[in-house]
Amino acid sequence: MRIAIAEDDALLREGLTHLLRAEGMDVIAAVDNAEDLLTAIAADTPDVAVVDVRMPPTFRDEGLRAAVEARRRWPGLAVLVLSAHVEESYATDLLADGTGGVGYLLKERVGKVADFLDALHRVAAGGTAMDPEVVAQLLVRRRADDPLQALTPREREVLELMAEGHSNTTIGGMLVVSDGAVHKHIGNIFAKLGLPSTDAGHRRVLAVLAYLKA
Amino acid sequence: MTEPAVARPKVRAWKFLAFTALVGFAALFLFVGLFLSVVFVVTLPLLPRIVRRIARLAAAERQRLGRYLATPIPSPPAVEGDFAKVMTSSHTHRDIRWLALQGSVGMVVGSLALASLTGVLQNLVVAVVWPAFPGITTTLEMRMTSWGDSGLAVLTAAGYAALGLLLVPPLARWYSRVSAARLAPPKATLVERLAEVTATRAAALEAHGAELRRIERNLHDGTQNRLVAVVMHLGMVERALKRDPAVALPMVLTAQNAATDALAELREVVRAIYPPVLADRGLSGAVASLVSHCAIPCTLDEQPMPRLPAAVEAAAYFVVAEALTNAVKHSGAERITVSLRTEGENIVVEVTDDGHGGADEAQGSGLVGIRRRIAAFDGRTSLVSPLGGPTVLRVDIPAGP
Repeated sequence: MRIAIAEDDALLREGLTHLLRAEGMDVIAAVDNAEDLLTAIAADTPDVAVVDVRMPPTFRDEGLRAAVEARRRWPGLAVLVLSAHVEESYATDLLADGTGGVGYLLKERVGKVADFLDALHRVAAGGTAMDPEVVAQLLVRRRADDPLQALTPREREVLELMAEGHSNTTIGGMLVVSDGAVHKHIGNIFAKLGLPSTDAGHRRVLAVLAYLKA
Repeated sequence: MTEPAVARPKVRAWKFLAFTALVGFAALFLFVGLFLSVVFVVTLPLLPRIVRRIARLAAAERQRLGRYLATPIPSPPAVEGDFAKVMTSSHTHRDIRWLALQGSVGMVVGSLALASLTGVLQNLVVAVVWPAFPGITTTLEMRMTSWGDSGLAVLTAAGYAALGLLLVPPLARWYSRVSAARLAPPKATLVERLAEVTATRAAALEAHGAELRRIERNLHDGTQNRLVAVVMHLGMVERALKRDPAVALPMVLTAQNAATDALAELREVVRAIYPPVLADRGLSGAVASLVSHCAIPCTLDEQPMPRLPAAVEAAAYFVVAEALTNAVKHSGAERITVSLRTEGENIVVEVTDDGHGGADEAQGSGLVGIRRRIAAFDGRTSLVSPLGGPTVLRVDIPAGP
């Protein structure tokens, strides 16, 4: 997999490059600002761009804006945005174009290397990787009469994992249940929330996230 | 050719006085109403309604005078609490004193403007139509018998016009100032102001100190300990790798988990000091984010706003966050509106919900916290929450230098 990295902290940039190379990835560019990232992508389009949110010159959300801009210029480009804090509204910005290949994770998730690589592969394949904290922000402060209250604890877990962008197989693996059981849970969830059942993949994530945001 | 330029301020002054007469009439009416409702004891229940009308009339007059003088007249702060508080408030007393002025002097002065115009019109009409109405007189009781008298009637009209032109502008100027002085809230004496500033400054220092202690405790007891654990486990890993690499794995995982916990705690601390989204997107972006994940349908009504001092933005942000949390927890509202705007030198944050009202400041510490936070900026907090709603929390913060 060919990867471009934009991260302004030198130690983290080198560390990430090192980590990805050690896992057999091809890091084709590692830059420290948003503008250089766009130049690097223009020169040699990667499979995934891994982008930090806060970068020079203003240290606000230029990484996020660069990611949105890159996806506008190169439709289908997968981006994985990393940040020291996650904000649900930023996820909304990233998902706004409705196409897959989007990830938004806390930086420290890199430490769980296997999970991080899984997210990277998912995003590169056109899927979604939402940080559990984004999903938690969406689940917090629900009203008392919310249909989510009707979900069993297990169904709620499945819903959270779906919102993070995991496939049925992965969800089954994480909760140690069979594929069939996951399938049944998902059927129940969609019925209880009154959502039309959607096939797996990015559209399902969007449907679930849209429901949680409403 | 300069005539229109000269005429316009005169027309304005005349219009101002004519409306002053109308407002004076309304004031007289309310004043009599106020008097009667107190005299006939049985009518006392009407009193709150009359007092509210008076406050409304004064508020409308403040607007009108502000426009006429081209300097906004500050409104007194809204009186909070029950009717007894409203009745004993010095602002209500000031309104009533203004009402007496407006109903007497205001009405007479305003009537002069009206009289000058009616004098001109009446005499001109009489000068033309006298043959059809035998016995008709001018305003000066002069009986009309010939066209020569017509000339005198026109002269009388001209006299009224001259009187109006001469008297109206200075009268308008004089009365607008007198009325404005009565309507504006009294300027706090320097001593009172100093006492207020000293008190809020002490409260601000206290709040700031408590905040620092809280942050210190979180970092010291939480994050620092986690990082110590990370370093300790890495040390154990170092030793283990030399002796028996197989036992290193669980230690690495423990270190990793401890570091992850430290980061999570650090994020919480940072969010409580200065939310990163505020730094990234400013007040309106950060509030939009709060509004978008509020559990109750919530709309944001905002004016474009300049970037403000970080402390002011943070204070406004925490007010909205706290108000939304309160509304979701206690109000039973179906809809919330958050309004962000600037009014003069202040930024105004207003959170309105259509819940069941009856929010009591004494019961929730959140509101007390908001009030203290805002007072530290020399700002003002007001909560209006009648039983049955709606609840309106309004905060005015001076936008800094």
